Amino acid sequence: MRALIDVPLMLLVTYTMGFFMYGFYRQFMARIQNRRGPPIWQNLYDNLKFFSKSETLSHGPMFFLGPMIMMAGAVTTVLFIPMLKDTAWLQGFSASGNLILVMFLMVVGPLGNALAVGASGNPFGVMGVTRGLTRLMGLEVPFFLGLALIMVQYETVSISAIMAAQPTLAEWTLVTNPLIFLVVLLPFIASLNASPFDVVGAPVEVYSGPRVEFGGRLLGILMTQNMMLSMAKYVLVVALFMGGASNLLELFVKVFVLFMLTASISAVFPRLRTEQAVDFFWRIPLGLGVVAVILTLWI
Amino acid sequence: MRLFLRVLSLMVVVTPAVTWFAWDGALVWPLFGGATLSFDVTPLASFFLLLLAMGAPLAALPMLRKEEPDWQLALFALLVLGMQGLLLAQDLVGFFIGWEIMTWSSWLLIVRSPRTDAGTAASYILFNLSAAFLLLAGLLGVYSLTGSFAIQALVDLTLAQGLVLVLLFGAAFLIKIGTLPLHLWIPRSYDQAPEPVTVVLSALVSKMGVYGLLLMLILFPEMPGRWFGDWLNGPLSGYGLAWIGVITSIVATFKAIAQDDMKRLLAYSSIGQLGYVTTAIGVGGALGISGALYHALVHTLVSLLLFISFAGIIAQTGQRRFNDLGELIYRMPISFFGVLIGIIALAGMPPLPGFASKFLIFVALIEAQWILLFAAVILSSAAAFLYCYKLIYAPFLGQANSPEARVAREAPWPYLIPQIILMGMLVGLGMFPGMGTALADPVLAALGLAPLDGPSLGTLATPYGGYDGVTLMLVFGIAFALVTALFYMLRGQLRRAGSRQDLSFAGEVPTPDQPLHYGAGMGRELRRIPLIGWILARSSSGFFSGLAERVERLAEHSSRLYPSQPWRWVQSFVVVFAVLLTWGLVRGGGL
Repeated sequence: MRALIDVPLMLLVTYTMGFFMYGFYRQFMARIQNRRGPPIWQNLYDNLKFFSKSETLSHGPMFFLGPMIMMAGAVTTVLFIPMLKDTAWLQGFSASGNLILVMFLMVVGPLGNALAVGASGNPFGVMGVTRGLTRLMGLEVPFFLGLALIMVQYETVSISAIMAAQPTLAEWTLVTNPLIFLVVLLPFIASLNASPFDVVGAPVEVYSGPRVEFGGRLLGILMTQNMMLSMAKYVLVVALFMGGASNLLELFVKVFVLFMLTASISAVFPRLRTEQAVDFFWRIPLGLGVVAVILTLWI
Repeated sequence: MRLFLRVLSLMVVVTPAVTWFAWDGALVWPLFGGATLSFDVTPLASFFLLLLAMGAPLAALPMLRKEEPDWQLALFALLVLGMQGLLLAQDLVGFFIGWEIMTWSSWLLIVRSPRTDAGTAASYILFNLSAAFLLLAGLLGVYSLTGSFAIQALVDLTLAQGLVLVLLFGAAFLIKIGTLPLHLWIPRSYDQAPEPVTVVLSALVSKMGVYGLLLMLILFPEMPGRWFGDWLNGPLSGYGLAWIGVITSIVATFKAIAQDDMKRLLAYSSIGQLGYVTTAIGVGGALGISGALYHALVHTLVSLLLFISFAGIIAQTGQRRFNDLGELIYRMPISFFGVLIGIIALAGMPPLPGFASKFLIFVALIEAQWILLFAAVILSSAAAFLYCYKLIYAPFLGQANSPEARVAREAPWPYLIPQIILMGMLVGLGMFPGMGTALADPVLAALGLAPLDGPSLGTLATPYGGYDGVTLMLVFGIAFALVTALFYMLRGQLRRAGSRQDLSFAGEVPTPDQPLHYGAGMGRELRRIPLIGWILARSSSGFFSGLAERVERLAEHSSRLYPSQPWRWVQSFVVVFAVLLTWGLVRGGGL
């Protein structure tokens, strides 16, 4: 019964946080670049605008179903991540899942996108998908290495149990094992498709990415699921490193702090090409990860 | 006559299923002089017999088509008998006989294909015969130590004896699995074998190597823990094997991405997937072994599904390169779903069972605290997404790139029926991931490990946590249905694109004769990444040709010892023999 309230609430929370954070991001970037920037509600406006477009171009049934798979993947991911600790609310179906499952669920969405853009027959879209999959190959290695260290540290794969094991600031993974956070931080930014690892859908230099053929309401779906999935990833990292949250306000503050950190990094560094990004991940974060393994397990 | 042969072969093909259901009690077959062959179904054999029982009839269906030659099904029946004998054997002699029947019948299947060239036939039989001879050496070694050929725990071995035996048996089975650098025969033979035969080679024959590796745990029970102690939380003796497996899967995955032929890509992917199994066996423990068994099960189903789907595509279009296909999705919809389910399971995405088996392997690595291995497995698993996408994109999506692809029709029923059954099995296993561990639990008990014992078939439970397949499948299914229904109602005006060239194409409108398919180019740019470029620039055939060159040079040197006339060789041979004989008699031992 609780699921009936939990499910819409969790989706609403991620959606709200999503458009708020990304609206703020645009303001933040504008101020850094000495511009005035759009209002903080701009992402919500954009999203609603897409959903009220009268005409949408489709390239056949698979093209239509791809965004649906993406949305279903994002919804499932959100519902398998517990948002709060010490409460029975906003847990979704997280008791039936675990950290590794959530990480793999995040790839279901890109599969839907890849199928749809492949079905459209646009070679540029498929090039974008290949870039995305290549980047995924680069970022997942250090990302999972960090997560594995967390799982070894807490001897569980359950996100709730990892959250529960960090009741106070002194027990946050960020404090007890800051090296893991450094290992995970940059791959995490890349998994959000944020600068400097945003070559996949790079808006200016590269003509087009995986989104090339989408327009109208289908693009609205893509934007919605992207905001929700990104927020799910923030909630996950907050749960793993910053002790989770006991109430929505705490969750919001923690996500905001983390968001500011990633946004600052994104604002400063120039974009990397795909192969540079992969090579970077396999040198710096993975190298740090190996150091972390040696320090925490071997010694 | 033809009909009789077919019915007889089909009856043989379903015997594994009959054996699996109806076997009770051991069978002892007396040979000459007190020697016996004994057969029985052990828990470990029962698991692999189940794979054979499921796979053999499904793989036989495409062979029943009129276009396929008669000898194929008959030889396949022989192959099934050989594998069955190997699994049921309770002594190493029976095991070896089954292994030889398997080797020769599969070689005949390959060598009679019109596409097979001499090099492929030679490499297949050379590698498999070396495996057989290593096996023979191993079993003679066992006999000389224990005086019996029975498959039983060998205790009280010295470390040197144990190591020699383990290396002999291990090398034999690793050749069959196709571990680097012993994989050389796999891509070319899988590629050139007739399509229905490749299905069998990848799905069933390769699993016999896995069976052999697991059999070594029964033969050498002291190997995992006691020989070298532990490294972190896992056995040090398995650490090397685990790295061999994971390096195999990484290299094979990158090689797979670089292929432009469908069957070659699948062959490399098969090598890579079995690399995970090797890794899992290396980790050992309840989680590792059950992950290995689970992955063997999933790989059997997936490779049956994918190889049969692609056999259908090749039969319908005559094209086997990614570049020459495209846009088959609406012409071959059932095959499309077959491949889609296949790649989702192959890539290990939830909710299909490929995730369940990988999850067990991941948790086993975490339990052993072998985190660097974990990261390496993730590398190959994430890189596999690329070739999985290539498998679905290049034939089915994009733009049709050859006349055959433009007019292709759905594959005939002998290809579709097994695909539909396998899709059902994969989805069912994804929904009830506990079924796989329930099948593996008796094997764990037989190996003296604690069974995983999930609370229900819907749950995959490990000491570190698990997941609920039913909930996962339902949540995803309901979310997908709701989102699709809701959006379909609110879709507004959905306009279908005017033509296949109606694309966002850098401000231009492409013409129909412009090549718009991205099939073969996919993954080519990966070479720019230093590590991948380094891997792809190398090949183990260089290692083997170097080896061959050394051997030739050695032979050249040793041939100088012989005079040039052939009769003198015989003479010197007789002299050497006489000297040895005399020496033996002088030592007083006789020969």
